[in-house]
Order: sequence, then C-alpha cells, then structure tokens
Amino acid sequence: MPQSVSSLAAAPAGPSLLRRLARRNEIALLLSLLAVIAFFALASDTFLTTRNLTNVLGQAALPLVAGIGVAIVFISGEVDVSIGSLVAAIAIPLITIMNATESFALGVAGALALGLAVGVVNGYLAAYLGINSLIVTLGTLFILRGGVYLYTGQRAIPDDVMLESFFQLGNGRLFGVVPHPAVIAVILLIAFAYFLRHRPFGRQLYAVGGNPEVARLAGYNVRRVKFVAFVISALLATIAGILLASRLGSAVHVAGLGFEFQVVAAVVLGGVSLSGGVGSLAGMALGVLILQFVSNGLGMLNIATEWQLVITGGIIIAAVAFDELKRRRA
Amino acid sequence: MPADPALRPAAEAAAAPALEMRGIGKRFPGVIALEDVDLVLAPGKVHALMGENGAGKSTLIKIMAGVYGKDAGSIRIGGRETELRTPRDALAQGLKVVFQEIALIGEFTVAENIFLEQYPVGRAGSIDWKRIRGEAAALFARIGFDVDPAAKTGDLPISQQQMVEIARALAHEARIVVMDEPTSSLTPSEVALLFAVIRRLTALGIAVVYVSHKLDEVFEIADEVTVLRDGRHISTKPIGAHDHDSLIHDMIGRRIENLFPRSRGHHKGEVVLSVSNLSTDAKLKDVAFEARAGEVLGFFGLMGAGRTELAKAIVGFDPIRTGTIAIGGRPLKPHDTRTGVSLGIGLLSEDRKGEGLMLELPVQQNMSLAALENFSRAGFVEEGRERSAVQSFVDRFRVKTPSLAQPIKNLSGGNQQKVLIARWLMRGLKVIVVDEPTRGIDVGAKSEIFALLDRLAGEGLAVVMMTSEMPELLGLSDRILVMAGGRITAGFERDAATQEKILNAAIG
Repeated sequence: MPQSVSSLAAAPAGPSLLRRLARRNEIALLLSLLAVIAFFALASDTFLTTRNLTNVLGQAALPLVAGIGVAIVFISGEVDVSIGSLVAAIAIPLITIMNATESFALGVAGALALGLAVGVVNGYLAAYLGINSLIVTLGTLFILRGGVYLYTGQRAIPDDVMLESFFQLGNGRLFGVVPHPAVIAVILLIAFAYFLRHRPFGRQLYAVGGNPEVARLAGYNVRRVKFVAFVISALLATIAGILLASRLGSAVHVAGLGFEFQVVAAVVLGGVSLSGGVGSLAGMALGVLILQFVSNGLGMLNIATEWQLVITGGIIIAAVAFDELKRRRA
Repeated sequence: MPADPALRPAAEAAAAPALEMRGIGKRFPGVIALEDVDLVLAPGKVHALMGENGAGKSTLIKIMAGVYGKDAGSIRIGGRETELRTPRDALAQGLKVVFQEIALIGEFTVAENIFLEQYPVGRAGSIDWKRIRGEAAALFARIGFDVDPAAKTGDLPISQQQMVEIARALAHEARIVVMDEPTSSLTPSEVALLFAVIRRLTALGIAVVYVSHKLDEVFEIADEVTVLRDGRHISTKPIGAHDHDSLIHDMIGRRIENLFPRSRGHHKGEVVLSVSNLSTDAKLKDVAFEARAGEVLGFFGLMGAGRTELAKAIVGFDPIRTGTIAIGGRPLKPHDTRTGVSLGIGLLSEDRKGEGLMLELPVQQNMSLAALENFSRAGFVEEGRERSAVQSFVDRFRVKTPSLAQPIKNLSGGNQQKVLIARWLMRGLKVIVVDEPTRGIDVGAKSEIFALLDRLAGEGLAVVMMTSEMPELLGLSDRILVMAGGRITAGFERDAATQEKILNAAIG
C-alpha cells in the first residue's frame, strides 16, 4: 500500500475557503460597485431613486448583453471589437424587413442572419485562417460601418410600421418598473453563466484560452471552439442591436459608435483577461455596472461628459494596474 | 537487432501485448527521426525506453500520443490494428502520455483538470461537478496522493502537478501509461511515491512505458528495457539481462570519436571567464569554473542537467542568487546582459527562433544588432559602414544569402547560425557562449559551424559550448565539464575523456 510521502502531505493543500473568497476578483468588484453607489447616493439627492436606478439598469442592458459575447471571445483567447458597427448594421435588415412585411419575427430573423454571417466571417478568418483577431474584427468594424453609411446615405431609416411588440421590447417595463432590456440581459447572463460553468463546451472555452496546447493534447478542436466564440459574440451583439433599434425607433447610421470600446473597457474592468482563460460573466457584469453608475452619477452631479471620459479612463487603468500588482505579489 | 521473443518468459509471450508497434518510421525534413523501430508492451509490466538525447525517444512517444503521425509501420493495441491520428484517438484507445511539460490548465482546479478530456455529464448534458469532486478525491485516496481536489492547479508545485497528470491517466481508465522523464523535477521522496503509484498501475494490469536516462531508477522499476540510438532500435531485453555497463554500451554504441579534427594546437591564453560558487533559485548549485582565451570548453549534460540555465546565468540574462562572474578580470555587475556585452560575453541561444533571430528582418539588421554603436555617429547609424561590415562577415563566413536584404527566415539553419555568430564577433567578444550550436542544422552545415567555432578559438576567443551531443563534445572541446542536477560533476582534459566516463558522470 503506498504511503503519502510527508513532503507531499505537508505541502499546502490550497487556501481556506475564506481566503479563496477574499481573493476572488468579483468580491472586490462588488465592494467597489457598492462604494460607487454609496458615494453618489450621498452626493446627489436624485441618484438613489427607483426611477434613476432602473434607468441605469436599462442603459446597462446593452453593454451587458454584448459584453457576454465579448467576454466569451476574450476567455477563448481572442478579441472582438466588431460589435460597435454590428449593432448599427443589423438594424438595417431589421427595420427594412419589418417595414416591408409588417412582421416582427421576420425582421428579427433578418437581423440574426446578418449577425450570424458576421460571426462566421470573423470566426473563420481568426480561428481557421489564424489571422490576428484584433485585426480581423477591426476590419469588420470598419467595413460594417462603411456599409451602413453607404446603404443609409448617412440618414436614419425610420420604423414605418410601429409594431407594438417591437416598441415594447426596448421601451416597456416589467410590472411597470424594470426595463425589458434589463430583464433580457439578466436572463441571458444567468443562462450563459450556467453555460460557461456547467456545460462541457463552456469549460472548453476556458481551456482553449488558458493553454491551447494543453487543450489540443486533451483532444479539443481548438479552432472550432474559438470559431463558435466569435459566432456567439456576433449573435449577442445582434440582440443588443435589436434592443437599441427598438429604443431609437429606427435604423440609425451612427448608432453604436464607440460601443465596442465601452464594452471592452467594462469587460477588462470586470477581470476578464485579454490573454485568455480567465474571467467570469459576474465580473464582466459588475464591470459594466460600475462604469454605468459612475457615468450616471457624474451626470447627476453635473460633471461634464469630457471629465466623465477622463475619469472613466483613469478607473480602467487603475483597476487593471491594481489587479496586476495583486497578481505579482501573490 | 530486433527484439528477440525468445528472451521473454513464456507466460508473458502467451498474453496478448497491450501495445505492439512494428517497423515504425518517421522523417522530418532533412532528418530521419525513427527508422524501423519496434516496441512491444506487456500488460502489467514497466517497460523502460532509453537512449541518449536525440535517440528518438521523444518522437516515438509523440507518435504514441497521436501528436505526430508515423510515416511507416503498424500499431496494434490489444491485438487490433489501429491508427493514432490525433491525441483524442490515443486517449480513446486507452493510451495516455504524461509529458515532461505539464499539460494542465493552471487556472482550473485539480479535480477539473483530471476530467479535462471528458467531463462526466448528468442529465441534460450538464457537467456533474459533484461527481468530478467525488471521483477525484476517491482517486487520490486510492493512489495515496494527498492534495485538495479543489485547489487551483497553478498554485501547486510541479511535482504535485505531475501526480495530477498521472491521476488523470487513471481516471480515463488508461491501459497504457507513458511517462516522459517523470522524475526530472522530483525530490527523492517524491520519486518513492511515484514508484509506489507505478506499482499500483501495473498491479491493475496497466502497461507502463518509463522514459528516462537515470539508470538507477530504471534498474529499480523496469521489467524490460528497450534502447534506441540515432532513431534505430538497438535492443530489447529483460532488465535482468543488463548491468550498468551493458546498458550504457547499448546507449552509446561504438562511434568514431573524432569526427571534427581541429586545426589548432593546445595553445591556451589567460583566463578570460571565471565563475565561482554560482547558484540560482532555479537550478544551479555552487558552479565554479574558468575558461581561457583560445580554448573550447565543452559542457555536457543530459536533459535537465542545467546547461542552458548556466549559459543564461553567466551572460547576465537570468538572475543569480549567489556567486561571482568575472569577464576579463572584471566582475559582471550589475548582473544584466548590457553589462555582459560591454565586458565581452555573449550568448548564442539554443532557441534560435525564439531568442536569436528577428525572423522577418533582413540579414543585415539581424547581424548588426549588437554592434550598431560601432557604425554610429551622433546617434545615427551610418548605413554604408554597417553594410560593408556585414558584407565582410558574409564573405568571410561564406553565408549563403541572395542579398543582405533577404529576410533571415529564408536562410537555412546553418546560415542563420553563421549570421548570429557574426553578430557577436562584430561586437567584439572575449567569451562566446554557444548553447546547442548545431540544433536543427543538417549534417553538412554542422561541420561548417564546427570549423567556425574552432577558428574563433584559434583567433583567441574563449568558446564555452553547451551540448547534449557526444560527438560534438568530443570532437570540438579542449576541456570537458559534465553537469548533472545543476552541478558540475566531473571535469576531463580532452585526451582523458571517454564516452563511458562522461555518461557516467552525467547520469550522476
């Protein structure tokens, strides 16, 4: 019977549950979020009202939905910045098909078809041809924006049929309180968090991003996993785009300008590593909420948007630097 | 000499082999890695696979793992002919290779890593985390391995990660487990635990392949031993048919010792490199030696002996814990490569692509990299002077390149190496440290590199050569130091050195 050798038995068997919890990035993010909310609640009378809080949730819904996809691509070890133009581009088939057919479902199908096509192109070029994904998705970001400008002639395409179901999707509130986009975002977050944690494919995403060589030795199809990540990201951006089009009531050629970097910033703030294999959707969601509450709170305090940008940039760098220092000390 | 079935006991011959590889061949561009190699494994036995560096052990086990395809031969598992095209094929056939580099995801828990290849799923296809934790804990208990299944894998020491890899093989009900140099990072007590685990595996009827160059371990654990040399099958015998000397003899064979006759005599100059009581956190323990102008000092060691670590430490690339390094009588302080280069020591890395070349850049920029100051005036590089200096080295070393503007990735390995040697000569060195100078270079170009290194010594440089290749060592060195486990274990004047003595010292 083999004995446990003392040197092994004496080796640390992992930190205690409490220490492990304290080391979790999500806890620090949650505390930060609470601190941000507490600060603005004290600084402004109108911040801590149901109306304002639910408004922030409604605004956070779009980056939350798209952020799930971006986080998944990051976890797989790649990057996707094409989503800013995609949210604008998918509004074109959505609105034009609805205008032509008066069918909400057909419009959504058209939008999803375009989103799927973009995801397949991104995924094929990045995962199968091995072209750097930042370059690929930067390329599709430009191409889609250019396509939107060309197609719309730089004018918004109005929604002529004004379907009630389409209007309600982006503007309605559950029980008259919670904006529908926030409800959709929470449902998608829970579903994908479950998917990442409890489905083998979810774990493959982490493995492929964490160490592609190990994943290949373990028999994973590394390229296929990354390909699927791009498709998921494009489809989630499509959903965000549909919500945005409903809010705007038209296909707007400048919609989503800079959205990609807003989402990437929140994802990185949420502790999802650009080098792959690390991060959670809970962290991503907290990152989105922190940035959203900061921008809303600063607005309440009548701080100019110029300063909001400076402050947001500072927060992102400070958060990632803090994380890096913590890692180095560990 | 093929395996002789008559040497095996009758009872074993009756049982179907767990794995039967026959006539395996594998070529890489310019190299025959394996030719007509046989390997037959009996269930429940430990089969040692031995050979010098470059003998073909790694290639053979990569074929077993489904990482490389074979070019010739057949593979039978449990009597059935099969193909191992991908790692998944190998796993599906019950064949698990534990590589030296740990193949675990550092961010995952130990338990999750165990089930990486095939997550147990419950109803509706969701991962059964409870079963993963439970089975991992039960598995560890069974093999007497005390680690928390919920610990993050990357936080564990390498030795424990290795045990996790072995446990992983068991979780997959592997019938054949291949271990590649499993003890290279283990302490003696951990080795004892590993051997206990191996005995449990064989008791379960699992065939174990044990790849190692440590003779004592092989004599302790193996039932049979197959020796490869230069990609060929040399012998397969029960371990009892070998003693220390016969095994070493099979590994090195009889070679012509001096393939590279030297052009110079034994003229030695003054000491230009002196290293004393050098230790690093990573590997080196109390290393001391001197190198003189005009000599080639050869360092030999097997895999993991610490050659590359020593090379990187003495040029200032890797940090050191204690010790002093002096070049031309002046200490290497601060300990960095900038100081090293200015004192006159440079490294020709074993990793030519990773640490030597800028692949996309032309020959000219690759060569002049370390010597730009020589051609600069007021901070601007004068390209005419740079070009003529590079051209003169290209002519002198007969570098085959269509032009100086050719991206260096288009040159052959031998010509790339010449450019890198020229990089240092252009800078002007007292000591050049060359680590595996002929790795990945075809035979014809090898002798040119040797001639070049020989000439450098003739011109008064101290050449410190790290090598794992015996012919290279014996052919080129004036003096030989042997390393094992991060220490220098023996030193020989060239005429006193023999392969047997060197290998004995290297096995430690």
